[in-house]
Amino acid sequence: MDCQAEVNCGLHLVIQASSLPEKNKVEFKLNKETPSFPGRLLQHDLERNYSSRQGDHINLVSSSMPSFPILQRSSEEKILYSDRLTLERQKLTVCPIIDGEEHLRLLNFQHNFITRIQNISNLQRLIFLDLYDNQIEEISGLSTLRSLRVLLLGKNRIKKISNLENLKSLDVLDLHGNQITKIENVNHLCDLRVLNLARNLLSHVDNLNGLDSLTELNLRHNQITFVRDVDNLPCLQRLFLSFNNISTFESVCCLADATSLSDITFDGNPIAQESWYKHTVLQNMTQLRQLDTKRVTEEERRMASVVAKKEEEKKRESHKQSLLKEKKRLTINNVARKWDLQQHRITNIATNQDRKDSDSQDHCQNDGSTISAFPEETGSLDSGLTSALQGLSVTDTHLVEVDGDTLSLYGSGALECLDRNWSVQTAGMVTTVSFTFIEFDEIVQVLPKLRIKFPNSLHLKFKETNLVTLQQFNALAQLRRVDQLTVDPQGNPVVNFTLWKYYVLFRLSHFNMQKINGTEVTQNDMIMAERLFGILAHVASSELPQYHLISILGDARKKQFRYLLETKGKKPGIVNEENNDSKRLVGESTNRATLNYTTRDFYNEKLEEIKEKKKFCKIYIEDLVKEATEINMKNEALQKLWPQMFIELVRDAVMEIRNKNSYMKLCLQQITDQK
Amino acid sequence: MLSPERLALPDYEYLAQRHVLTYMEDAVCQLLENKEDISQYGIARFFTEYFNSVCQGTHILFREFSFIQATPHNRASFLRAFWRCFRTVGKNGDLLTMREYHCLLQLLCPDFPLELTQKAARIVLMDDAMDCLMSFSDFLFAFQIQFYYSEFLESVAAIYQDLLSGKNPNTVIVPTSSSGQHRQRPTSGEASMLEGVEAPLFYQCLENLCDRHKYSCPPPALVKEVLSNVQRLTFYGFLVALSKHHINQALGALPDKGDLMHDPALDEELERLLLPFFRLAQIPGLVNSVTAGPEASCLPRTPPRVGSPWRPLHHARKVDAESDGSTEETDESET
Repeated sequence: MDCQAEVNCGLHLVIQASSLPEKNKVEFKLNKETPSFPGRLLQHDLERNYSSRQGDHINLVSSSMPSFPILQRSSEEKILYSDRLTLERQKLTVCPIIDGEEHLRLLNFQHNFITRIQNISNLQRLIFLDLYDNQIEEISGLSTLRSLRVLLLGKNRIKKISNLENLKSLDVLDLHGNQITKIENVNHLCDLRVLNLARNLLSHVDNLNGLDSLTELNLRHNQITFVRDVDNLPCLQRLFLSFNNISTFESVCCLADATSLSDITFDGNPIAQESWYKHTVLQNMTQLRQLDTKRVTEEERRMASVVAKKEEEKKRESHKQSLLKEKKRLTINNVARKWDLQQHRITNIATNQDRKDSDSQDHCQNDGSTISAFPEETGSLDSGLTSALQGLSVTDTHLVEVDGDTLSLYGSGALECLDRNWSVQTAGMVTTVSFTFIEFDEIVQVLPKLRIKFPNSLHLKFKETNLVTLQQFNALAQLRRVDQLTVDPQGNPVVNFTLWKYYVLFRLSHFNMQKINGTEVTQNDMIMAERLFGILAHVASSELPQYHLISILGDARKKQFRYLLETKGKKPGIVNEENNDSKRLVGESTNRATLNYTTRDFYNEKLEEIKEKKKFCKIYIEDLVKEATEINMKNEALQKLWPQMFIELVRDAVMEIRNKNSYMKLCLQQITDQK
Repeated sequence: MLSPERLALPDYEYLAQRHVLTYMEDAVCQLLENKEDISQYGIARFFTEYFNSVCQGTHILFREFSFIQATPHNRASFLRAFWRCFRTVGKNGDLLTMREYHCLLQLLCPDFPLELTQKAARIVLMDDAMDCLMSFSDFLFAFQIQFYYSEFLESVAAIYQDLLSGKNPNTVIVPTSSSGQHRQRPTSGEASMLEGVEAPLFYQCLENLCDRHKYSCPPPALVKEVLSNVQRLTFYGFLVALSKHHINQALGALPDKGDLMHDPALDEELERLLLPFFRLAQIPGLVNSVTAGPEASCLPRTPPRVGSPWRPLHHARKVDAESDGSTEETDESET
């Protein structure tokens, strides 16, 4: 019955227990050989039970002290196996007193019920002490064993590493299967080569400095979340961290500096489930030769570095993106708040909404100073090659953004961007224009510019633009073409009207719109629109007096020409659609052309201008009336007086002619007088 | 020197003269506004067209509110134009809010004030739940009296308030001696207990108002009729009754309720406008579902008739009242 245990750390222990019937022979040799087995074997051997079937005969004589038995061996045994003693499976509950065995070098107490290490202080030559599978709760009673090299305390109930101060020669310390929560009091063990703390209650690893010879550290089956100090172990080659609680590489980052490490295991940890696990480990620990008991190939290493680089790139890119997004969000919040203030919506009541707004506004204010207004150079606008977001102009009062085919404008200041020079490519790609937090009346003024600068814009979106009357839609007629219209109910009360869609379809019928607010426009809708408002158009065109028609249309054309001449014409005018757009429905378009929209301000301006003229007209007419009434009065007076006058005339004449002779004389005299 | 003679003119002549002046001034103002365009057009032609349009009632289209409000004729023309343009909306059966009606008004007059529309809505809704939906005919008739008699209604409101609070406004003014005694009756106690005011007393106040009012007011006979039916009534009750009570004939602007949706000439015009759409939608199912209206037909049965541009308001009304509506052919030619 030979059992062999090989301690793979430069020590080669061979324990032989031969089963001589009466004698207890325990031999062991000390060999210093280079190990040829992987360390795993050692653990395996140590962790499992010795399949010792020996039944060593030990004479245990009860001593005078009732609790401690005294061990005695026959002198033959003593001579044969002078340096080893095996007392396994002896149902010992205490360590017996061992007399007269002072040159004992190996002591085996495996598989007993010993609760305290006692009565071995005299064995000062002890090199190998095996207390595996007992009930020891505390490391003690070892202070005299200065030669001890191997201490096996696995599968006990030890809660704390302590009282190892004098064991400076310790080579192997096995504390697996205990209840140890902390690594401590091992810093003086500068010869320690193997430390086994598997199956304990460790939550973290540190305090390893001073273990200058440590080659193997077994920490399997603990609760470790982070590892430190491993880079202070100059000789560590193998580190087993399987079945712990490590989830990020940052928590074991010291391993990157542990240049002596060649073999590491992480299986059974959360980190091993991550998609980036292998690459990250290989990338950070280039010194590794084996990972999770598999060799690391050159190919894997290369892949790891490639992937790591890509990840770095992605991270940088996404960081940039998120920065940009954050900037955008802050700006939009700022614009929104300004808009709300303008609309007199914000009150002092701290509703949740307002609190959120004020929070973001404070945030804005903190960052507002850092967001600098930077007008982009025209050159950079040409990088429409990347489909990534382009934040073109970000100040804290407005935001202009071109994202592929959408031009988004936030805040009334954004309308100025239409004055900028846009590359043909960028401008040509824009099919959707979105307006938010801008007064519709202000948008109306720039619609001609929009038409010129972005000729392909077919879809208009309005949100929070204060669309309140149907009339305002008349202004959209001046664009070249609109395929889709989206009017967000938020901030646009006009959507609450029952007829708004039909009115839009009617007024902009020459556009042949496809969609309004996402729903397709059907033929029925068009018919209904015409049915509802067709007569309005008819009245507006055919029943309008000609001069009025001319004045509306003619005026508009004049103003349009004037605008085109001045490129930066900010003059808000009554603007009309071009009649040469849709040839098929030319009749209908002029039919509606008189339905215009002038912004309230301009309308009032016009009325003011007319006041002078009105005054003049009034005075002029009054003068005319005065004249006419004067004449009329005179006429009436004459009418009244005339009969009398006539009668007198007749009477005078009759009286004159009564006497023919005297009348003849009178006439002659008158004639001579005249000469 | 001229003034006393002016005052001696009979009232109707004086009134007529004033309105003529309004139109004259406006005509000259329009002329000045569009000098360049009209100078090519011809001034004589301009004046012809202008006064033609005044007669037809199309002169108020797209004009500013101050002009529309200036004369009773303008107001009536505006009402009529509004009716003609948006009759189709009413025929469709949509119920709209006050704001939406206001939008429609603004389509014809950009600076139409919201207060007037609100007041009209209050009549329909009896001053309750101002967001309610209203039918086209209800709104139109209420709007009619509100707009046409707006100053009168203001005075009536004032009188009503006075009566409610117990003050008898007639005691303040110097009335003719005979009617003075009747109005001394104390009414304060009773008025505050019950809703509204006593109809007879109210009527007397109104009668007085009509007598001395500068602005147009409903024919007193009509007012008497309205007030004779009830003992007590509230302000809005009075207005609602007034709006429903054949006041149309007095105004001459709108047809009666029964005929409100009926306008054959414009209907034919509408069919003509819809023709291109029907030609496009040759899908039988589609066409059927759309043309389910009472009088609509895919093709006009009679050749489209160009509506006579010269229909004076009163004449049209008479014609409607007399026949079933298909009377355009029997119209006598207007001058």
